[in-house]
Amino acid sequence: MAPTKLPKTDVVVIGLGAAGGIAVLPLARAGLKIVGLEAGGWFQPEDHLPDEIRNNVRHWPHAVQKANQEIPTARVGRNGPALPRPAYHPMMNGVGGTSLHYWGQSWRLTEWDFKLRSESIRRYGASAIPAGSTVEDWPVTYQQLEPYYDKVEYAIGVAGKAGNIRGTLDRAGNIFESPRQREYPMPPLRGAGFSDHMGEAAKRLGWHSYFPPAAINSVPYDERAACLYHGFCGSGGCPFNAKSSTAVTTIPQAVATKNLSVVPYAHVIAIECDDHGRVTGTCYLKDNKEYFQPASVVLLASYTYENTRLLLLSKSKAYPKGLANNHGQVGLHYMSHVRSGVMGLFPFALNRWYGTPAQGTSVDNWSDDNFDHTGLGFIGGGNLLVPMETKPIEAASMPTFGKVPRWGSAWKVFVRENAGRWSPVWSQISTLPFEDHFLDLDPEVRDPLGYPVCRLTVGLEESEKRAILFMQEKAVQWLREAGATAVDKLPLSPIGLSTHAYGGTRMGDNPETNVVDRWGFSHEAPNLGILGASVMGSSGARNPTLTVQALAWRTGEHLVSEWKSIAV
Amino acid sequence: MSIGSGSKAKRETTSGSQNLQSFSRRDVLTGTVATITCAFVPISSLRLARASSSNEVLTSAERQCLEAMVSRIIPADLDGPGAFEAGCARYIELALGDAYQSLRKSYSSGLAALDDRAISSDGKSFASLNTTEQDKILSDFEQNVAVGSYSDSAAFFELVRRHTLEGMFGDPSYGGNANFAGWDLIGYPGPKMFVSAEMQKMNAKIPRSRMTAKQLTHGSY
Repeated sequence: MAPTKLPKTDVVVIGLGAAGGIAVLPLARAGLKIVGLEAGGWFQPEDHLPDEIRNNVRHWPHAVQKANQEIPTARVGRNGPALPRPAYHPMMNGVGGTSLHYWGQSWRLTEWDFKLRSESIRRYGASAIPAGSTVEDWPVTYQQLEPYYDKVEYAIGVAGKAGNIRGTLDRAGNIFESPRQREYPMPPLRGAGFSDHMGEAAKRLGWHSYFPPAAINSVPYDERAACLYHGFCGSGGCPFNAKSSTAVTTIPQAVATKNLSVVPYAHVIAIECDDHGRVTGTCYLKDNKEYFQPASVVLLASYTYENTRLLLLSKSKAYPKGLANNHGQVGLHYMSHVRSGVMGLFPFALNRWYGTPAQGTSVDNWSDDNFDHTGLGFIGGGNLLVPMETKPIEAASMPTFGKVPRWGSAWKVFVRENAGRWSPVWSQISTLPFEDHFLDLDPEVRDPLGYPVCRLTVGLEESEKRAILFMQEKAVQWLREAGATAVDKLPLSPIGLSTHAYGGTRMGDNPETNVVDRWGFSHEAPNLGILGASVMGSSGARNPTLTVQALAWRTGEHLVSEWKSIAV
Repeated sequence: MSIGSGSKAKRETTSGSQNLQSFSRRDVLTGTVATITCAFVPISSLRLARASSSNEVLTSAERQCLEAMVSRIIPADLDGPGAFEAGCARYIELALGDAYQSLRKSYSSGLAALDDRAISSDGKSFASLNTTEQDKILSDFEQNVAVGSYSDSAAFFELVRRHTLEGMFGDPSYGGNANFAGWDLIGYPGPKMFVSAEMQKMNAKIPRSRMTAKQLTHGSY
């Protein structure tokens, strides 16, 4: 049966999460008519229970009906073994998407991140770029993106302390950050006993610790409450709307203009185009009926894996290999943050039960290009973070530090004493794209509609292993200085499905090696924009969301200013 | 549901579970009510999930085997109840009828392999062995020592261990953590709706709130 054709709209946005939920605001304010297609529904404060089984163990079973049907597969290398396929998709369907339950860490990348290829070659020579890496300088500089970081920080509400305002350093903030035009809109989240303890230890090492920025209200902001530090924030939504999810910030503001129409539980299956290669709208399923939503412009904002999959599934006469893929670039330059964590065991109680992960303390001495990499065999580094908040199942699932078996009487005695005495130090490492790391369609595994799921081909490069080991040594040093009596390092292993997944639709000026241009619009289909970390050409050493949001705002604003040439 | 009708609900719905009776609903209610000072929780909302006959998923032999297994993963000792007493087998059975339906087969084959191994080496079902013999078999499973044609023993052990920890330390409304035994074991003071700076100090003495998530939040927003 032919799909029901709906009235044409100016812009259709696929996915109202962290990225799509931002872009709709500049569009709506400019008077464009937007249809927002979201695979999940609206969540209310009472949906956000302090329940570890629901939020963390079973991953919001009520909220990922679509995502859980299309969990990507992963393999190590083109001929390598499959990684175990998780039972749950780590991202969420819902108005606000995963910004409903993310940690809210809202960093800017640094000037270095945007030109890391040329800067590394300049400082260390051409051999600094690891063999097989496809990394390019970004087509956008930090200075060009800075106004958009600022807009997002103020639109959603980010708590933090500036360390560099127009070149003036302030040691109360992060002195390694790139210059910003003004202070954060809110003071940082307060310190907790253990994070302050770790901050003191960092100081004794001569490192600079600071309060990490968070999209969580430290004070009431924009008629939303301040954080109550009750915990259950990691993978948990906020019952008080203190977390600055797009669900409670930019999306309601856009709805209030009457220019955004939100369609919940809309399962997008294809983006259509005409014979000239212009997109014409999207097909979606809702309540077992198929609809076609025509639009002058389509913005694809459905997370890295689904962005690539939807493009590859949307084949046509103009794009036989998938939409915007005549150069064969869709799915390439994929990466996710490699994992580098160390757990420390202390001989005293840490009281990390409450608070929020973004409330911790952070160190940037060993991230980006803040130290000399000569002879180290990798470029970049990692942001170190000690998060607050641990929940009881997580606490009891602690490593045993080689002291006892993992079950039985001795284990029980061990967790009784130690479940409240351990903490991770996490490090997010600047990760690069490589030729052999990519996304495509799985040749065998299909979703219930019969469409192939996304397949990840991943690996762990030698340069990445060296960076992980380097950062783990720093984490060990920090934990020992703070009094840890035992440490446990996470094993080196390739990463499968990730909440920090980048690439697949990379942004760059060269259409031979990139899917979207510097504004986020397809080089091939001029009225198709793509939002999300899928456009990022390197990961940076910190959480992607604020950069994703700044880019999304910039793409939205560009569309407004160039409407006549893009929408035709 | 009123407190009166609830207190009579039978909890010995799994075989050999007489021990559970020592953690009665009345204990739970008394403990809970005693700590409520801010009237978040109407008594009528208190209800602990449990496997009723309609929730039975396992055969009686499987249930005995599972109960014996969780008893060894977290044994009862002088300092307090173990996984069985805390209802972890019940937690798992409820989940197998609900969110973990897809794991039902993993449980049947894993529990059958455990019994097969017990019968072949000691001539008795796993649940009938003494704890030393049980621990030896579980240790083999953990190390992935093959049992006949069953090759998933380590994966099965990990699965049950993980689910046992969920039952022991998760929200009691899912059928485990009876009388908040798991939270007491590790000193977790329970979920709160507001945590002050004082309560986040490393040496803070935090009063324990014996409430499930639903009890804590009911009517508060």
